[in-house]
Amino acid sequence: MDNIVFSIGITALAGALAAVAGAAENVESDIGSQGDPNSQVQLAPQMGYIHRIYNKAIAGEPPAWGLWIALGAGIAWAFMAMQINPILAIVLGAGLATFVQGVYSTTAYLGRTASLSKFGQPVYIDIIKSMTTVTMAHAFVAIFATVTLCHLMNAALGHPFPLPLLGLVWGIALGAAGSATGNPYYGKERQYQTQNFGAGVPISASGNIVRYAEAGERNSLDNGYFTSKLGGAAAGVCFGLIVFLELWRTVLFEKVGAGWGAIIVGVIIILVFTVIDRYIEVWARKNYGPYTKPTEETAS
Amino acid sequence: MSVKIEVIEGGMPHQKILIAGLVLAVIGLYLSYLNVIVGTQMFAFFGGLAAIAALIWGSHTIKILASYGIGTGVPSAGMIAFGSGVIAFLFATKYGLYAPIVAIILAAVIGAILGYLANEVLAMHIPVMIKSLTEMAVVGALTLMGFSAMISGSFTFSALTTGSMKVLGMSLPSYQASYIGGALIATVFMLGAIAIQHGFNACLGPGWKQDRMLMLVAECGFLSMMVAAVMSAALISPAAAILSFLIGLVGWYYTYMKYIELSKRDAAAWLDLKPIPEVEGH
Amino acid sequence: MSALGGAKPAGGATGIAPVPAVISLVIFVIIFALMYMVGTPLAMTALIGIVIGGLLIGFGVHFVPVGGAPAAMGQAPGIATGVAMLAAGGGLAGLFGGAWAASQGTLVAVVTGAIGGGLMLAITCFFVNFVYIYGMGIPAASGKVKKDPITGDSQVEYKSQGTEGHGLPFVSFTGGVIGGLLGGAGGTLIYLMLLDVYQASLPGIMKATAVQIQPIAVSLAGMFAIGIFLVIAVLAAYNITGTIEGPHDPKFKRFPRALIACAVASALCGVMAILLVMV
Repeated sequence: MDNIVFSIGITALAGALAAVAGAAENVESDIGSQGDPNSQVQLAPQMGYIHRIYNKAIAGEPPAWGLWIALGAGIAWAFMAMQINPILAIVLGAGLATFVQGVYSTTAYLGRTASLSKFGQPVYIDIIKSMTTVTMAHAFVAIFATVTLCHLMNAALGHPFPLPLLGLVWGIALGAAGSATGNPYYGKERQYQTQNFGAGVPISASGNIVRYAEAGERNSLDNGYFTSKLGGAAAGVCFGLIVFLELWRTVLFEKVGAGWGAIIVGVIIILVFTVIDRYIEVWARKNYGPYTKPTEETAS
Repeated sequence: MSVKIEVIEGGMPHQKILIAGLVLAVIGLYLSYLNVIVGTQMFAFFGGLAAIAALIWGSHTIKILASYGIGTGVPSAGMIAFGSGVIAFLFATKYGLYAPIVAIILAAVIGAILGYLANEVLAMHIPVMIKSLTEMAVVGALTLMGFSAMISGSFTFSALTTGSMKVLGMSLPSYQASYIGGALIATVFMLGAIAIQHGFNACLGPGWKQDRMLMLVAECGFLSMMVAAVMSAALISPAAAILSFLIGLVGWYYTYMKYIELSKRDAAAWLDLKPIPEVEGH
Repeated sequence: MSALGGAKPAGGATGIAPVPAVISLVIFVIIFALMYMVGTPLAMTALIGIVIGGLLIGFGVHFVPVGGAPAAMGQAPGIATGVAMLAAGGGLAGLFGGAWAASQGTLVAVVTGAIGGGLMLAITCFFVNFVYIYGMGIPAASGKVKKDPITGDSQVEYKSQGTEGHGLPFVSFTGGVIGGLLGGAGGTLIYLMLLDVYQASLPGIMKATAVQIQPIAVSLAGMFAIGIFLVIAVLAAYNITGTIEGPHDPKFKRFPRALIACAVASALCGVMAILLVMV
């Protein structure tokens, strides 16, 4: 009984850490403008729209976050093998991984912007100086939280994978979940704030991102401020639920029915999410209504 | 992305980079093997330098492949390179002195078959696909071997799988506190996979310049060497780890400064606290 | 973004070209013959398991709805991430769960891995829809079909002007979950097969007890599983050429040739991983 209570407590802690990590991951990638919305930041100068947005093009979010977390976990593992206290080891690991992330961010911005010289896009040194440290701060929070939850899985819950391998697995999962949830919100709502709300961006408007906004010339900190309100929170809850439910159903039910208990609970949870998804899809169709009359089926 | 990618004009020809990368990587790996012959661990840093040579070669291969428009992103090229490279690398570690040669041959076979599958069965029909995937698998294997040698002292199977653990003040051999037992190979896998594609991915654009990309890859390589040296402190002697770290630090600083200089050379303008310039029509 | 000088294969854009298929079959047979001559029955079973795992992964990647850069602007349906890496995210989350259940037998572990991957994709797809509907006020609509094949909802009038669709219609959501299930199952199966081989062979090679070499076996199997997973996922992504809306997308019909390629690729990588402890 004690064992299950302990495991549930660890599961809850891991879920909370995952929520923090997911939110920090999303805001970090929105301030740095990484992932698919970054293609617009790249495209804008080619259409004549010079901007002051950070252009952090480091692969996509899943592989990049796979690297930061695996790196933080690897360094933490090395320090723990040298008999250093685990918490200090994780802090040092997260710190060094954040340093690597910062260096990669600056080189990505310099490289992409220098390659756009033909269109007159300048390199803004003050953007590098002010934004890089902010993305690094968010990255540190996410890396620390994720490496800690990996360590909890290995040390407290007894998962067979060693820490760096868990770091790789959860880093890619974190990047995938955070980018899936947060990218459309940053891309459509904030980058294209001048487009109509409640509709996608028409293809004719590609590249025309918002550059002059409520606080002067828009920069990435403004974007982070905005997206943290919904995108960051949604990504946090998403990744938090992924980690929490995965651990919860295993810890509570793996002994039930020789392992089949956890499987059945998993199927039930998937069905619950399917039902809720169907509900909100129908809600949107009913409450928002169609864009055009159903009989006019001309392709738009 | 609707960025037009142009074929390379000028600069060093790919053949030269291929030969230089391959030869330097193999030399570096064998220099690190001196560790086993002499019985020390101070030559471990040669493994890191070998990995950097392979990374520079590999990033140019990605540039060649991507200039034909493969439809997916650049990072997946890094993933397939290292996914196939890790298999060849781990298989080759059992052959002691001949490990680098076995890894190259095996990786070339795996890469060629994967390239054939992608080009003919999946009907991608890109002229350089088979050659590029072959090269990338070899690069993946050599990079992994280089960093593994740097972190654990040598690239032989026994060095990679045995470490020591301090129990009650005594050092006991342990499989868990080793390079493979602790799965540090996962960290090196991602370090290499991101470094190899970052060079091209970050310099992507109409203003792509070969020397800037190669300098960037070297910078990524030295940065990876620095953190790998930190991780190696758990497995090899402190003096060897510090030596690797210092060499990585000096190399990183030099390449990073040169990269900033080259970016300054190529950028349209280098502004500090200036507003968006007015461009006609917008 | 077409290849330079690309001639259409005899089978057409979605068909299977006959000559490469035959050559692939030959390579496949050679690999299995090699395994038969050099390896033990356990190794043969493991190789078959790895091929099945590779097929599951390759097939599963085709189900996941990926919209790429246009999806991030509400211009195309699907998830705004790369194909291979989103599938990898789901598959690896499944592998995590499956590896944990390894001690409970192969079938239970594989199904657990499948559920882990499916759960991750289900939650992710749900939150994608959540952000589109409540954060951006955009209902889900597909650009490739007039009616959703599963629910029968009409799609055309819910597509905003100038776009190809947006969000995740129910068929795409289901596709995502199925993709996660198959990817998680495939990754876990590869891991378990390799773990069995290593646990049987490593004690003899390294002259140590089974308990002692367990960390090596787990890490080697895990690393190989992730490596093979990424190779298969990237090959499947090459087949899809970037974006796909889900199982209802016409591009989905390309999957047979991906199955051939993934079978050969997983056999090749699997035989190398197994021969590591046999030769």
